[in-house]
Amino acid sequence: MKYKGWLLPLALRDFHEGRIWLKEYSPFSKEDIEKAIHHKYFHIIEGIQKVPHLKCSRCHNIDPQQFTTFECSKCQQQCIYCRHCLNMGRVSSCTQLMIWTGPPAIRTKKHPLEWAGQFTMLQQQAANELLESVKANRSHLLHAVCGAGKTELLFPTVHYALEQGLRVCIATPRTDVILELFPRFQKVFPQTIIHALYGGSPKQEGYAQLVLATTHQLYRFERAFDVMIVDEADAFPYTFDETLQRAVQKAKTENAPISFVTATPSQKLLTEYQNKSYSFIPKRYHDRPLPVPRFDALWSYEKSLKRGKIPQKLKQWTENRLTRKEPFLLFFPKVELMKIATPLFQLLDASIMAVHAEDPDRKEKVLKLRHEEVPGLLTTTILERGITIKNVQVAVIGAESTIFTSSALIQIAGRVGRNANFADGDVVFFHHGITTEMDDARTKILNYNKKGFLQ
Amino acid sequence: MNKIETLCLLCSQPLQPVISWEMLLTNHFQPTICDKCSARFEHSPTATALYQYNEAMKDYLHQYKFLQDVALAKVFRQELYARFKNEKAIIIPIPMHPLKQKERTFSHMEELLKAANIPFIQLLEKTTTETQSSKNRVERVQTAPLFRLMVGAHVEHKQYLLFDDIKTTGTTLRHASEILLHAGARNVQSFTLING
Repeated sequence: MKYKGWLLPLALRDFHEGRIWLKEYSPFSKEDIEKAIHHKYFHIIEGIQKVPHLKCSRCHNIDPQQFTTFECSKCQQQCIYCRHCLNMGRVSSCTQLMIWTGPPAIRTKKHPLEWAGQFTMLQQQAANELLESVKANRSHLLHAVCGAGKTELLFPTVHYALEQGLRVCIATPRTDVILELFPRFQKVFPQTIIHALYGGSPKQEGYAQLVLATTHQLYRFERAFDVMIVDEADAFPYTFDETLQRAVQKAKTENAPISFVTATPSQKLLTEYQNKSYSFIPKRYHDRPLPVPRFDALWSYEKSLKRGKIPQKLKQWTENRLTRKEPFLLFFPKVELMKIATPLFQLLDASIMAVHAEDPDRKEKVLKLRHEEVPGLLTTTILERGITIKNVQVAVIGAESTIFTSSALIQIAGRVGRNANFADGDVVFFHHGITTEMDDARTKILNYNKKGFLQ
Repeated sequence: MNKIETLCLLCSQPLQPVISWEMLLTNHFQPTICDKCSARFEHSPTATALYQYNEAMKDYLHQYKFLQDVALAKVFRQELYARFKNEKAIIIPIPMHPLKQKERTFSHMEELLKAANIPFIQLLEKTTTETQSSKNRVERVQTAPLFRLMVGAHVEHKQYLLFDDIKTTGTTLRHASEILLHAGARNVQSFTLING
């Protein structure tokens, strides 16, 4: 006899568990969704909460400026919608959000870690401390200089949590970081289903016990993760956007600990964790000091570029890199200035390219630099973190601009000398006047070196 | 919809509030987008459209119609107001199919006019839920009637002005105008936001 009832499609459960999702936008059929609701497998909430004040149920936005009221043809009433998370499908008063409350997805406890690397003593200590914190359900700040091997440090903790049957999320504000992390994690956890979620990420099958996501994507989760790791916690826009910080809070289960991992923690994070649970690695994994940036005046560089001339010093620097065949990154404070400068640099070498945040080919261009197909890239601050290129040399143009905060400058300097075989390199801040941020960045780097190499 | 925007509706950068005597004493709207975003739109050289279709316009239509960001109806209100304030003809926005409108939750053409405080009426009804943009040129030109008169609609022997978002082959506007002329309109002209 054939079974005539309804069987819950497992893919539906695996997808919706931990997510908060617009009813109309589910990737599953309307019938299955209705059936699941009928079986009380979903908790349904209104898109916009009106009391005590306006709040988007998905992204928790409460800024009244980000809501718009209009005459809705669907509900025939005044409807309010949230403009803050509009890109993920509009949430309005008459839309419903679904949260999975049905049978939980099946988690395995078999997650072999295939990694043959060796920790330095400092790394081992920090990795142990992080693991202990997670075991004790305690939030933790891991402060490690650029190139200290932060990603590897996470392996023992993630491994432990997965084998405990916990769901783990590694969140970061930057898509580039996700793209860099994903293959590395997939390699060392070959039997674990890992999903990488970012704006425009492809559809991925199965139930992921390990999720790598941009902090933006966390709007779509609710009480999903038992362990939350926030990588590059200080990167734009995480520090600026409070809703993103709330997203991290709501995406994890109530008691789940948060581990912050960064090379440049904010003062707030430091004061909060320095005396509680804090690990610090002042030294790179290859045991060589961090390259210290040098300052070089490049007066009126903007005027000069706008007149169609690369300032002499900068031209000299670039030509040196070209003759020595060293890959280089030139950081610009503004896209507009970079666009003016690009053709000028292409006169020096036609294959020099430029990348910025909206560039659809940014992934490919960075790969080209890595594979030595292009000699160098002009870039905005998007490449300030998360990328590793062998023997890269770095110049910042207009280091005095407000966009180059001390943490941005430390991150930029941190691109250089990451490879054990090329542990040194040039970091130059071309400037039109020295700012306290520049001084601060240099002082901090000198300080790390001092701490790391105490005799 | 009537609130004053403090952030650019397109890029979310803070907007500088503009206060001038001209603004206070004449019918001037507060800006809703920043100068940078506004510079990305390209004015049309033709007299029957405000803008040329370009990358910025593509993004705008995507956010307004596809992501259903009704607030964007306000972006062009100053320009639309300037174009329509002395208009003698009766303005008719191209209607949406009722099902389509329910799906989108608003009529994008009507919202544009409402945002600019332009009076309009409706006499037409869309007969099909198919979109013009899903068809090729030949299919568009040969398509069956797209509109009919609303039940009880009274077309006077007057001038009418049809208002649509974008004109590509002109099929939509031709269909609507034929119906009105057939029902006794003296003259039917058309105006679009964008020249495709």
